Amino acid sequence: MVDAIHLLQAATDSLPAYRDFPVIGSRAAVWIAAEIHLMFAAFVLGVPMFAVVAEAIGIFGKDQRYDRLAKEFTRLLLIAYSATAIWGAVLTFFLATLYPKFFAYLTAIFGVSMWIYVSIFFLESFTLYLYYYGWDRWKYGRAKVGHWGLGILLNLWGTTVMFIADSWLTYMMTPPRDITPDTAPGSIKLWHAILNHTWMPINIHRLIGNVVFGGAIVGAYASYRFLAAKTDEERAHYDWMGYVGNFIAISALIVLPFAGYWLGREIYQYDQSMGITMMGGFMSWLWVIQAFLIAVLFLTGNYYLWVGMGRIPGAERFRPYTKWLLAVLVLGAIVWGTPHTMIADSRELAAMGGSHHPFLGALGVMSAKNTAVNLMILTTFLSFLLYRRANIRPVVPWARAGTLIQGGMFGVAAAIVLFFGIRGYFVEAIVRIGYSVYQVGAVLACIIFVTVIDVLMARGAQSLGAIQWGKMPPRSQYALFILAVTFTWLMGLMGFARSGIRQHWHVWQVLQDTTKYAATPALGQAAIMISVCVLIFLSLVGFIFWLGGLAEKSTFVPAGKEAQHVGH
Amino acid sequence: MWATNLKILGVVLGTLALYTLIANKIPQVQSEVPRALTLGADVTPEQLAQAGEQVFAGIGGCTTCHGLGTRAPNLLTDEKGQGPIGARCGKREPGKDCKAYLYEALTRPGAFVVPGYEPIMPDMTRTLSPQQIWAVIAYLESQGGAITVTASDIPAESKSTAGGGPGNGATGIAGGSRDPMAIVHAAGCIGCHKIGTEGAAVGPDLTHVGARLTAAGIREAILLPDAKVTKGFEKFAGIMPKTFGDQLTANQLEALIRFLAAHK
Repeated sequence: MVDAIHLLQAATDSLPAYRDFPVIGSRAAVWIAAEIHLMFAAFVLGVPMFAVVAEAIGIFGKDQRYDRLAKEFTRLLLIAYSATAIWGAVLTFFLATLYPKFFAYLTAIFGVSMWIYVSIFFLESFTLYLYYYGWDRWKYGRAKVGHWGLGILLNLWGTTVMFIADSWLTYMMTPPRDITPDTAPGSIKLWHAILNHTWMPINIHRLIGNVVFGGAIVGAYASYRFLAAKTDEERAHYDWMGYVGNFIAISALIVLPFAGYWLGREIYQYDQSMGITMMGGFMSWLWVIQAFLIAVLFLTGNYYLWVGMGRIPGAERFRPYTKWLLAVLVLGAIVWGTPHTMIADSRELAAMGGSHHPFLGALGVMSAKNTAVNLMILTTFLSFLLYRRANIRPVVPWARAGTLIQGGMFGVAAAIVLFFGIRGYFVEAIVRIGYSVYQVGAVLACIIFVTVIDVLMARGAQSLGAIQWGKMPPRSQYALFILAVTFTWLMGLMGFARSGIRQHWHVWQVLQDTTKYAATPALGQAAIMISVCVLIFLSLVGFIFWLGGLAEKSTFVPAGKEAQHVGH
Repeated sequence: MWATNLKILGVVLGTLALYTLIANKIPQVQSEVPRALTLGADVTPEQLAQAGEQVFAGIGGCTTCHGLGTRAPNLLTDEKGQGPIGARCGKREPGKDCKAYLYEALTRPGAFVVPGYEPIMPDMTRTLSPQQIWAVIAYLESQGGAITVTASDIPAESKSTAGGGPGNGATGIAGGSRDPMAIVHAAGCIGCHKIGTEGAAVGPDLTHVGARLTAAGIREAILLPDAKVTKGFEKFAGIMPKTFGDQLTANQLEALIRFLAAHK
């Protein structure tokens, strides 16, 4: 064993540390390969999650629309899966040839997990083939439930593969503290390296993020097919599919910040200077861009819902509220996008009169930002609720009281959010941080209880008319494209943030990057790289969409299958 | 359909162009790789200040706390009506001019802590070379005051280019002394830890450290301070330097461990 380690070490020592890539350089080459691989991977991991849920609704809810939807999702998956594997291979070859010493270092620690990764990837591929090609064969009874089991298995393989890959990249960010530059990589225990500070937070964050991303891409696919549709039936099907994709994306997006908060907290606990570099150092402006992107997501997602209410009989009752919802969202976005602390030189600080702007500084603190984002989440939830309620009139005897209680819950949640937001200005930082838990708790409690009341209240409700799927103006479909582009771009930006806080280290404070590309680029250059990656990814996805159309006729929803009133 | 495809392409490209444009319009800050510092005997105060600014914003990690307004005093801007650090440094401690005060603040930060702040400042001699420290002092003086640092302030023997601190593995710190308290003082332990009546409460109290840690545990805590963080001190994780293995001689390290292990 010791001899083997020595041999490995000798082989590692004889390797050149780096090679360069023509024209764009080695870092840009690896950046593009990693980012596009990750985008495809997020898609092929996110889509099976809601494919399996959609299939379950089809089986247990006996609604064939969902089964067809799940199959259509999976058809996209099949082609995207090959692209994921190809880009994964490109990334591996780039790393092995351009960063041979660093790659040898990683393989010395994670070699065994890489073999396991490949084995599970193999199993995952064949489970996917079985899942898709067995769809029509195992269509009824127990065979159908067995088929659904394949979908669950597919998700289990996919999640395991992601968890393994996450351990490699999180090790680079937060290697266990007892590992130093002098620690021989062969002596590091695999499980010790895997169980690093940020492994589980990243796993959870990515799990949710993949659902968001998958929903957004499916939404874009549906909007493309909607715009290309030749019949009303086709248009109706893809309108509905786009709605489902958007619903999934926005719903999961609401949970994502909590996972992000956990990840940020772990980074701070691991190394405060790393956390401060991320939030208050050279990356501070990145969060202003992130706030802008999330504001676009909130506004576009809500806009899509408001436009969608135009095809729901009875929705006109709620139209006057739209402008107030818009006002809250815009104000919230402005506050959230206000910079707090950012790196500035002495002239800039002097011009500003301090490290914070005298007026805007008050809005840039976490008390104001947490309040703004929680109110934006509440507003978006209210939009969904109005959309749900648009074409029904509850008939249960307690309908009025139920609506009042729902309104009261919104009021109490908003009041709690505002109270702790204002009080946060008058207490110590350590107390203030704890207030965000109360704010989030109030919003989540409101969402859960209001939804429960709404579901109970909708039982046997009087229909004001079925949703007229397909009767959506084209501009709503372009909104879905903006959502998909924004989600993809945001993913690239957050990937840059996560990876960039390592600065000039391959492995934080253990293995230094000594290439000419070691400096972490400014946001402008990073944005160009992100846009290039997004463009390549979306072009390939567009090609896949086109192939999806060639491969099989689209699966329409028979008009007669429309649910009576709660068809969403 | 071509018209629709073009519209979709327009929306995608337009959205990407907007985000790229905004990201390029905001201030651009690149995180540079720390560079070695070489200052000749004929270095001017301006060159010193310029070099100091790079250390301040880069390898020194000063902006991590200074400038946020909550963890440590603002140095580049006004602090409670007293002006930036160059304007107020000469009035901080009686009998100490600006240069002496700043040197003390960087090399013995526990000696004077500005009221209202916690003593979290590390001894910078452990991460910066003397040249870098004097360059930072020159830069801080330039913030509202006159630069008094000259090339003659920089010790002739300190021509090393980066890091290093007050000692090296060959001679150790405190001139190689094996007196544990001399090591404790020279290494700046009491800047953060309390031992008996001396020291600050940023890190765990070491007065009875021998009762809760074995000699091996103390060794690990000195050499790999973040391997295990004492409960209640998580927020200070990462502050203790990881350089004592390089700075102490083996004899000094063992003497220090025996001394601390005996504090039951």
